[in-house]
Amino acid sequence: MIDLSAFQDALGIMFSSVGSWGWIVPGLIVGLVFSAIPGISITMAMAIVLPMSLYMDFFSAIVFLTSVYTGAGFGGSVPAILMNIPGSPSSFATTFDGYAMSKKGEHNEALGYALFASTICGIGGYLLLLLVVEPLADIVLRIGPVEMFAVAIWGMLLLGSLGSTYISRGLLAAAFGILLGTVGMNTAGFTRGTMGIPVLLDGIAPIPAMIGLLAAGQLLSLAGRDYIIEAEGAREVSVRRILKGCWGTLKFPGVLLRGSIIGIVIGAVPGVGSSIGNLIAYAETKRTAKDSATFGKGNPKGVVAAESAVASAEGGSMATMLALGIPGGGATAILIAAFMMHNIVPGPSFIETQKPMVYAIILNNIVQAIVLLAVGIGFIYVASNIVRVRTRYVLPAILVIATLGTYAVTGETAGPITLFVFALLGYALARYQYPVAAVVVGILLGRMLETEFLRSYQLSGGNPLYILERPGALAIFAVMFASLAMTAWGKRKQNKAEAEEEAAMLRLQQEDAARGAHTTASKG
Amino acid sequence: MRIGRHTYAIDYGHLTLITLIAVAIFWYLLDARSVSLSINNILLVQPVAIFALAMYLFILPQCFRKVDAREMAKAPAEQDPLSPTLPSERSDMIRMAALGISLGLMVVLLDVIGFDIALFLFTAAAMAICGERRPLHLLIFSLVVTVVAIYGFRALIPFPMFTTIL
Repeated sequence: MIDLSAFQDALGIMFSSVGSWGWIVPGLIVGLVFSAIPGISITMAMAIVLPMSLYMDFFSAIVFLTSVYTGAGFGGSVPAILMNIPGSPSSFATTFDGYAMSKKGEHNEALGYALFASTICGIGGYLLLLLVVEPLADIVLRIGPVEMFAVAIWGMLLLGSLGSTYISRGLLAAAFGILLGTVGMNTAGFTRGTMGIPVLLDGIAPIPAMIGLLAAGQLLSLAGRDYIIEAEGAREVSVRRILKGCWGTLKFPGVLLRGSIIGIVIGAVPGVGSSIGNLIAYAETKRTAKDSATFGKGNPKGVVAAESAVASAEGGSMATMLALGIPGGGATAILIAAFMMHNIVPGPSFIETQKPMVYAIILNNIVQAIVLLAVGIGFIYVASNIVRVRTRYVLPAILVIATLGTYAVTGETAGPITLFVFALLGYALARYQYPVAAVVVGILLGRMLETEFLRSYQLSGGNPLYILERPGALAIFAVMFASLAMTAWGKRKQNKAEAEEEAAMLRLQQEDAARGAHTTASKG
Repeated sequence: MRIGRHTYAIDYGHLTLITLIAVAIFWYLLDARSVSLSINNILLVQPVAIFALAMYLFILPQCFRKVDAREMAKAPAEQDPLSPTLPSERSDMIRMAALGISLGLMVVLLDVIGFDIALFLFTAAAMAICGERRPLHLLIFSLVVTVVAIYGFRALIPFPMFTTIL
């Protein structure tokens, strides 16, 4: 299952680049802080720090960015537990039982459950990835241009159809992104859409466009708020009780395993990600639990199920990204951009020729999950106050960093101008519920899609029946339709689970209110 | 707008956005076709552009809603924690527009008045837009952000940054 010689080389990379380990803690802190602030997403955090990684060596850059990604997986659960506000959509299911525990005064234990479930399942997800890399490499080597094209179309369709409430808007966003990605000179030497601007000959700079769409555009919408979120006051934090929660997580191995499997499978499908995985894992755990009636009232299994799916989804999405070069969403799109900045293209050839590096990246992610345990406990101490940062200080500072970050990519003001244009576009798209991530991935994959399509056309001599000679491509198209059906099912299930949970929470609140009124009446 | 017995509300913002996108796509398609009609040029661009324009026609009716239906649609959207709606109050919109304009002015002026002055002015303007009225806070925080950003990025990147004072 594991290529031992590549594994040994990976250990060599790990120990010969000890300096890069120093980026783990700053990366985790960035991820934790950003994802704990509702309204500022993990994708924004990764987009803002992306230009900084340009001046690191490749391994350090990936270590830093994946640390941000790992930290963010847990960070969102802190406000979810303490304040009933999911820091990111992937922490939504954590609020159901996490906040209920918090109301009972068990917030330390809830945070412990969330932290340890994140750590264990984060490690589990990457261990599984470590095992499947070798067989995956054999499979992806058989992938030709037709198959690559099919996979890219599949990813785009999923991203487009799942990223928005309206499928039509998602598909328009994906198509628009692909067209933006083809601006400039294509591989056949034709130049389109440059408007005579020389900078556009190489196409739209993906990093400034990405920062504009994912970060700056969303930040503009926060201008009307005084605080990013009005939160409750800080709560008392006890390390002893957090550790008690951590230890308690081990009492639910079945919940951890089920959550991990759901997270990995759903995380590997482009466009789905942990925002659905945590809800499905929660719903499945509740459905199969003997004490399902206590879910929503502070059952720790609810927290463990939700967080295990979030943490393990990261391994699943990394598998798709490393093997096929297809990003599953905004965060992995940024990782792909980081690869490209170092002239490395993830995908079949990377996984085959750079296997030690792939193993080293996976091993480092396992280290990150372990370090998260220590950094996470420290973070909990300050987290409850972070959300009370005033917009007037955060917003200008982040926008300045984002602007200079885009200048840092090429040293031209074309970067900041691109950021501005795409910030306006990103704001407008988000305002009317278009999935911004679909546009970003389209910009990243547009050129690759066109190149693979051209190569397929040249290989087939323009005969569409050529696809019948490519069973791999046919299989991918079959998987594409199956996964579209599966994700449509998942979406329906998600909506149903959300509706059920909201109804249950509403019922609980009404019961509480009625009980409170009854007590007051009795006292009166 | 009244059509027959029904009153329709037009979402002008949405209509403008998708129309601009459709115009851009249509122009891009024409531009690509004007370069060459070779299959190597329009193999991907043409079908994707046509698909996008078809999506535009599909989305277009969503900009026109019956007034009563629109009011009903608003309520659940406000309750959905997974898709928080962006603020739409007039004062908030003015703030966002002002911040957007400030950002645009800053990126245009970076090479004209220098990174330091542009960043300082933008930070102060953004703070004021977000509600900061105390002059000392405006001055000190903007200065700190400018100095840290300029010296921090100078240490990080190999490209020169045109500055007037720093």
